[in-house]
Amino acid sequence: MALTGNVYQVLEDIVGSENISDEPVILDTYAFQYLAETETGTKFCARPGAVVLPGSTEEVQAIVKTCNRYGVKYKALSTGWGVWNAVSGAGTIQLDLRRMNRILDIDEKNMYAVVEPYVIGAQLQVEAMKRGLNCHIVGAGANFSPLASCTSLCGHGLSGIFMGYSARNPLAVEWVLPTGDILRLGSLGSGAGWFCGDGPGLSLRGVMRGFLGAMGAMGVFTKCAVKLYPWHGPPVLPMQGVTPEYRTSVPDNFRFCAIAFPNWDSFADATYKICEAEIGYVMGRQLPPGLVPLLLARSSAEYAQIRQSGMADEIMQEFKHAFLLVLAGGSLREIEYQEKALREILAETGGWIPSLTQDPEVQKLGFSFMLKADRQALIFKLACTFHTSFGAPTAWDAAVAGAKMGEKIKKKYIEKGVVVDDLADNAWGGPYEQGRFGHLEELFMYDPSDPESAKGAVEYIAEADEAVLKGSLGQPIGALPKQAVNVYGPACFNYQDWMRKLKRAFDPNIASDPISYIE
Amino acid sequence: MALLDYRNDMQRCSRCSLCKWPPLAQIKSWRFSNVCPSMVWGNFHAYSAGGKLIAALSLLDGRIDYSDKFLEIVYQCQMGGACDVSCKVTRDLEPLEVMLELRAKCVEDGQLLPAHMVMIESLRNDDNPMGKLKAERGKWAEGLDVKDITREKADVLYFAGCRYSFDQDLWGIARGAVTLLKKAGVDVGISGKEEACCGGRAYEMGYRGELTKYAEHNIETWNTAGVRTVVTSCSDCYGTFKYHYPKVGKTMNFEVLHITEYLDRLIKEGKLKPTRKVPLQVTYHDPCHLGRLSEAYIPWEGVERKVLGQIVIQDPPKEFRRGTNGIYEPPRDVLKSIPGLELVEMERIKEYAWCCGAGGGVKEAYPDFALWTAKERIEEAEATGAEALVTACPWCERNFRDALEQDGEKMKLYNIVELLLEAL
Repeated sequence: MALTGNVYQVLEDIVGSENISDEPVILDTYAFQYLAETETGTKFCARPGAVVLPGSTEEVQAIVKTCNRYGVKYKALSTGWGVWNAVSGAGTIQLDLRRMNRILDIDEKNMYAVVEPYVIGAQLQVEAMKRGLNCHIVGAGANFSPLASCTSLCGHGLSGIFMGYSARNPLAVEWVLPTGDILRLGSLGSGAGWFCGDGPGLSLRGVMRGFLGAMGAMGVFTKCAVKLYPWHGPPVLPMQGVTPEYRTSVPDNFRFCAIAFPNWDSFADATYKICEAEIGYVMGRQLPPGLVPLLLARSSAEYAQIRQSGMADEIMQEFKHAFLLVLAGGSLREIEYQEKALREILAETGGWIPSLTQDPEVQKLGFSFMLKADRQALIFKLACTFHTSFGAPTAWDAAVAGAKMGEKIKKKYIEKGVVVDDLADNAWGGPYEQGRFGHLEELFMYDPSDPESAKGAVEYIAEADEAVLKGSLGQPIGALPKQAVNVYGPACFNYQDWMRKLKRAFDPNIASDPISYIE
Repeated sequence: MALLDYRNDMQRCSRCSLCKWPPLAQIKSWRFSNVCPSMVWGNFHAYSAGGKLIAALSLLDGRIDYSDKFLEIVYQCQMGGACDVSCKVTRDLEPLEVMLELRAKCVEDGQLLPAHMVMIESLRNDDNPMGKLKAERGKWAEGLDVKDITREKADVLYFAGCRYSFDQDLWGIARGAVTLLKKAGVDVGISGKEEACCGGRAYEMGYRGELTKYAEHNIETWNTAGVRTVVTSCSDCYGTFKYHYPKVGKTMNFEVLHITEYLDRLIKEGKLKPTRKVPLQVTYHDPCHLGRLSEAYIPWEGVERKVLGQIVIQDPPKEFRRGTNGIYEPPRDVLKSIPGLELVEMERIKEYAWCCGAGGGVKEAYPDFALWTAKERIEEAEATGAEALVTACPWCERNFRDALEQDGEKMKLYNIVELLLEAL
């Protein structure tokens, strides 16, 4: 169904004819989404009625007010990567915030940056590093939008041990509410700048994003201050090599290594101790055993050859209970201290540093991808897509329990042949905020172009959800809110009732498309 | 392969948008962090490589039909392949091949652009896409004391290409290249007015038959002439000879070199000795077809199958064209051999260089877009502080010249050949 009446014309008057389209070829590129096959059985979700490219907060506000006036739903996206960006139906306007792509300010003294929706992590990181600062990059990789992640989604990256996670990193926010009113959250609302996300009075950050984020159902976020953290490395990290093997030398005041352990218990103990010692900068399970051969392979065929030849068996075994770690010292003396502390922890827990990551070239490669999170999309390489299960932000021992459970369930689907045989162990994640909590999500890879594989993925998710509930393992970070409310809500004090009340209070016309959130 | 053969690639795009940026590890600033001119110009996701894969899938599945907007999305793209490089840092997909097949399908289905039809008409009548008479082709070399390989033998054939042959502003570059070869004692000849187009531009615009025709003709002509080496100053021609010609299945009894490769070799062999100072700070623009798109064709015939559950592999293993082995160092080495000359790099270089804007039939069909793309590159060059922008391709040079003239910019523009001539 195309837009009715003169809505299109009104929107065109707001953004200009070059920034709006209802051409089917344009619309379909927004209907096509990663993970769509798990929801619709095809690569396509509903086609929006039109796509609009606003260039400013004023234009966003005018669009939102128009939608409220004419009874039309709207939904905004930034980079637009994932099925949660899709609209509910053909009458919905998709706002692509791509033209709002500026880093408005980097406040070195107060350690934050003010960004628009289409700034990506890689852009923010290189600009921050020039000023001795760094930003948190979520597990999706450096092509994510820090604004979207902070305001509207749940995200955690391996620098989380030092830099928190998405819910923790937003400061003041400029928010076009579902009705079109503008709310300036935190210190911005008092005209005091961007340095604080709360007050005066009650904090609204929980309302803004909750646990999983409202995924486009609570209006449009147009500017956001995000926290930055110290960076003790050079202003520019010079990359060596030619695609696809980029790497960078490890600066003298940094260390990179993998740390392996004989079992899950010592793995968990060492994590707690590293966090207590406050020595980690980037840390987590980036390379579960089944993915280690990707370090040696350029293509999936090469990966398969390595796996099938058995040449990587020993290395994979060594990585069974392992994580990757970057240490950062503010001085050479500090990095020496950190290294000494790490050695003591390894001695106490029976851990060791695998020889693979002592190789100078692997050091450069590993340091580069841990710090820049530039090759997270390798998870798509083998079967062309992946999905996630388990992985609640919780105590680290409970995260490990989730990883074990995930392994057990995935084995069945590997035997069915519907997912990649990754040794049933692809628990990805790490501790947050020096170990206050953390998560390990069980990733699984499947072929989105193969209906049987996609169907298997859906069945696996259902079984994983059931296991999470039975095992009281906590609501997973990767669950989609609209499914999560049905599965997990009743087990969590019916939190969905509050979500619904908030949605209706903030959006009486239900104009901000609730499809990925709650009606 | 046909478009349909890539249906799985289309479905396997994850819409991650990595095709819009340089490889993430190589982003050096916010300002120069885009890699796809088409996307920055068009803004809607459809203009990205991922968007074009989705559009192709949608067309194949009958969800959409051809429209003016569809054709604009397909053709408003230089086919420079930076998207392909970025995608393949982590993926085994073929976005550029899909885009080429999509254009071929458009042509097969009669979905043509008038500006491209004019080029093809000229190609069919006069063996060049520039609307010039074939009889005028050899004029660039008038008065140059060089062998004509249609009449006498030579070890090396210098292939000027259509742009150098007919763009009078650039004749000096082609003449300079031949002069340099002769100075080095190379037994060089040209084909004069008998030279014919390489067919590469037509191929990129979707006209497959033209490439096959010219590839067969040129290979046969050069084999018959007994040349040992074919040297060209045109990056487009070079990329076509290296990647597309082997696909027609005819044995090529000659080596193909870009002029910068040959000059680099001659300098390293001591046959050319740059001794005069050229006190200039320059920055070098990697032409798409000399860089990421110049990798030699590696034949692959096989099937896709699955192992270890759902791992998708090519059997036998396929060597993906990732831009790893482009011609990046020889032009830089030539520049570094020139006394007094200092080379400073732009942010987007080598396999992730920003395109000049002229390729893929864009300069002819969408001149404003072509010039905008060039201006973006000039701004990047200016940001290095260099006095001059240097390139090694006539299409880049033409487009940069036009952009500089339009804006009255002061940055100097050189071809590597000109600088080397100054240094001898």
